[in-house]
Formats: sequence, structure tokens, C-alpha cells
Amino acid sequence: MALDKTYYHAIQIIPDNCTGCTSCVRVCPTEAIRVRDGKAFIDTTRCIDCGNCFNMCQFHAIIPKSDSLDIINNYRYKVAIISASFAGQFTEDIPYSTSKRALLELGFDEVAEESMVTEFMVGLIRDYIRKNKDIRPILSSNCPAVIRLIQVKFPSLLPNVLHQEAPMSILTRYLREKIHNDKGLKDTDIGIFLIVPCIAHVTAVHQPEGAYKHLQDGAFSAGMIYGRIRERLRKLNGNQYNIETYEQGLTWALSGVEAEMVDCDDIRTLSVNGVENVLEILSKVEDHYLDQYDYIVLRSCTNGCVGGCLNVENPFVAMSRIKKMIKNAEHKDIDVSEFKELYKDGEFAVAPLEPRSIMELDKDIKQAIQKMKKINEILVLLPGLNCSACGSPTCYALAEDIVCNKASIDDCVVLLKRQQKED
Amino acid sequence: MAEYWSINPGLEETCKEFLANIPEADVTLEFEIEEKDFVSAGKGSAEVKNVLKRLGIDPAILRRVAVASYEAEINVAAHSNGGKMYCYIHDDFVYIKYEDKGPGINNIEQAMIPGWSTADELVREMGFGAGLGLPNIKKNADFLHIVSEPGGSTSVEILIYYK
Repeated sequence: MALDKTYYHAIQIIPDNCTGCTSCVRVCPTEAIRVRDGKAFIDTTRCIDCGNCFNMCQFHAIIPKSDSLDIINNYRYKVAIISASFAGQFTEDIPYSTSKRALLELGFDEVAEESMVTEFMVGLIRDYIRKNKDIRPILSSNCPAVIRLIQVKFPSLLPNVLHQEAPMSILTRYLREKIHNDKGLKDTDIGIFLIVPCIAHVTAVHQPEGAYKHLQDGAFSAGMIYGRIRERLRKLNGNQYNIETYEQGLTWALSGVEAEMVDCDDIRTLSVNGVENVLEILSKVEDHYLDQYDYIVLRSCTNGCVGGCLNVENPFVAMSRIKKMIKNAEHKDIDVSEFKELYKDGEFAVAPLEPRSIMELDKDIKQAIQKMKKINEILVLLPGLNCSACGSPTCYALAEDIVCNKASIDDCVVLLKRQQKED
Repeated sequence: MAEYWSINPGLEETCKEFLANIPEADVTLEFEIEEKDFVSAGKGSAEVKNVLKRLGIDPAILRRVAVASYEAEINVAAHSNGGKMYCYIHDDFVYIKYEDKGPGINNIEQAMIPGWSTADELVREMGFGAGLGLPNIKKNADFLHIVSEPGGSTSVEILIYYK
């Protein structure tokens, strides 16, 4: 796995397009972006791939990296797994089964849905909560941006994270076994790809945290696939296809509904979405203020995965569509016995998550205190406008950057202006 | 004047030494706590937490400081006429003092009993006042010292070692 220094991020800055406007600097929840010499750059140790900067940039200077569809041709058997949020991207005149068919025709041998494992996941989560009574609250593990946020800003909460794979990875493990057994294919012949709603999921595919096993071989942006599917749909010309779909499990795309499903007599749940809210809740968990909850569902995007920055539809519209699909879904009994076997064998377990603490000023506490003292001394000299014109998100961050030799007090435009006036 | 002490066994001497000669701290934080301002209450302890994270304090200790300072701050907001937090950060411990403008605690021993509360309607409506504040502070602090003048002000001192 890559070391912190080369931590992979599914996001890149195109310097030619960057105007140095600092919009991205201000919306980053981990203060990972700085503008220096007129261009933004991302501190890879701090970035959690939440996508806030991508959403905010008006100049197409921050773009997501996802894989090119061609890579599927490197494998003999190609499987696409669609995130539950994908169902909300299409207008209601397009049957879900038709959009699945169109996806298949892009060159896959099989299309599987995250929603197939929802029922199993609910059972797994409840089992985990009941088996880990000494840890409260348990924090959901399926939003990769939240996992990374906990690693960098709330390392004390890492033991609270549900140490089991997220649904799409559980499905991947199951499909790998099944295809290997049914078709006699080698692991390297089977390509499993995710259709993902967000940048964090692309990062998670290329750099999974705590993964023991081989998971996916690539991730395709829902937005990119959407365009291709629309093309195919025109060719399919409204044909109906008899394809199995699992609408009942689409709940996974919606943060609130996941919590409701896990909630029962002996398990109290809370659902939180939007990275600012997640930050506030994690701080309260740290204060033991939310110990009365057994399970907290945390999603970085508005409304959960439907709010992912690679989706095309507005998160509220997508949520409304998915809710309707769930309501109209016919109940299907899904045989989860094979999943249960794999779970019993520990196939879905995740290695203890490691902290990636970004907050420390120095490894030596005496040095750290001296730096803190200097920060406070510099802070009183700064104007306190938090204007970001220097390229750091706040005056405090600039003071911190100065003490860590990453900036100079001359970067403060306001001070410079004042000096000019005095001269 | 009523007084209450609680010192973790084994730390009596160190604490006495500290109190006899309080050294100057390199990093200090001050925070005003307004009466019944539950919107802002907790911001002071969040500040303390942010500073300690920057100093690389052990996460388990950090959580103890977080709980003790949060509860103490809520106490000032919920039960007093407002007050102030003074936080002194040293390289081996953190010392936090809360001073309020009254009206004092009538019976400190009683206030230390888990579940015992004098919280009024407003405080309870806000979801506070379960009577666990002071017991929680005691549980998490290495040293807790309360001095209260019934009808006058109350001071709460907390000390937590990093090791």
C-alpha cells in the first residue's frame, strides 16, 4: 500500500485553469488546500477526498480522476457493481431494468447491484453492534471520506468504526468467489469495477483502507457512465428487458433510511450527512456526549450517496425517486446464506484502521508547545479577517503555516497594504 | 465557604506541589461562558481539544480532557450567572479553572452524587441537567477542587496529566 507521502487521491488540480481564487481553500474541511504563487495545491496527507473543492471550483481547475472504461478489456470476465445511488440518476420514464441493460451493453458480462446485499448488511451491522457491546457508539464504515476524516482528525475514534467491509466490497468478495467457482476463472481474469457516486469511492478502490483481500480493479464515475448509458438507451429504444433488479435494497443510497433499517428494539441509531454535520457529530462523540446511540450512520455528502459529487442528479430529486422505487418494489427473498458463510470465515473483516494524524505540530511535546506559543504570537499580528487572500484558509492557518515554515508573514495582503499606507 | 477535593491516589504530593507553586504556562486559553447560552456552551472545551490535538496528546487522555472540560463548561452555563474558563496548557498536564459570578452551590457533597440535580425546567428542556456533570468531571480528572460560597461565586479547578 502507498505510504502517506504518495497517498493516492482521485482528484487533481489543473494549474493552467486555476486562477488562485481560494474558493477551494475555504471549503476544505481538513484545511488541505493552499494557494501559493497563484495556484492551488493539495496537501495529500490532509486530503480526505470529500469533493467539496471540486464542487466549489468554477474554473474546471479541480477535476476528478476516475478510470477509463477501456481498462475492462484487460479482463476475461467483466463485472460492474452499481452504487445504490445510481438508480436515482434517471428520469422516471426509464425503467431501472433498462438502464441496467444499457450498462451491460457497454461491454460488461454481468451487472450487480449494491442493493443486493442491503438485507445482509443490516444483519451484519446488527450482529457487529451486539458483539461489541463495550464500544459505543459504533460508527458506520461505508463512506470512505468519513473513514479518512476520522483517521486525520479524530484518531481516538478509530476503534469505534465498524471494522467490516462496505457493501460494494462485500459484494465484490462474494462475486469473486462465485465467478471463480462457477466459471473456473483465475482471480486475475476476473475484473470487478464499481460505478461510483463520488471521488472518495474512486480513492477507496485504488487505496482501500484496512483491506486484507483483493477487491476491485477500477472505479468509473457515475457521471461519465451516465452519458454513455443515455446513448445506449436511445438505441434500446424503450425495449423492456426481463432483468432482475433489487429496488427494495436501494435504501443504501440514503443515509437516513439506512439508520432506520438498522434501528430496532435493542439498537438505537442516529443518521448524519453533510461533512460539516459529520465534523460536529464526531466532536460530540469524542466528548462521550452521544454514547446513548449504538450506531451512527455518517455520510459526507448531502442525503448520503445520492449527494455524491460525481452524480448528475440533484440529491433531493434522486432521493425522492429512490424512495418511490423502494415503495413500489416487490419484495424479493434474497438467499444470503453464502454471504453469512463468508462473514463467519472473517472474509469481510478489515484490518485495524491506522491514524493519519494531521493535527500535530511536532512529535516532541515541548517543541509543539513552543510552536503553539509562536502561533499565538503571530496570530495577534494578523488582521483576523480570515479572508484567505494569503492562500491559507484562515489567519490561524497562516500563523500555523508560518511556524511550520510553509508560509511567510509577508503573504498577508492586508498587512502589506497597511504597511504601504504607513510608508 | 464550602470546599471539595478529589485527587487520584498517588498524585496527592504532585498536586500539592503544583498548587503551592503554580508555574506559568506557555499556552493559555480564556473563554467567556454566558448564562444559559447553550448554543455557545461547549465551544471553549472544543478549543481546548483543538489545541491539545495540535500538541499530539494521547487520544485517550484527550477524551478525558474533552469530557471534563465540556461538563464543567455546561455547568457554568446551566447553573451560574455566567463565568469564565481559564485553560493553562503545560508540557505534562493541563490545568483548567472555571470561575463564575454566583449563586454558589448549596451542598457540594450532594452535588457530587450521580443523578442529583438542581437543574431548572429550561436546562432540562435543553437536554442537560441529568445530575452527571460533576461526577463525570471527577471520574475523568486527576484532580478536582471546588470552592463555593453559597450566595457567592464558585470556582472549579481541574488538572489532568498526559501520562
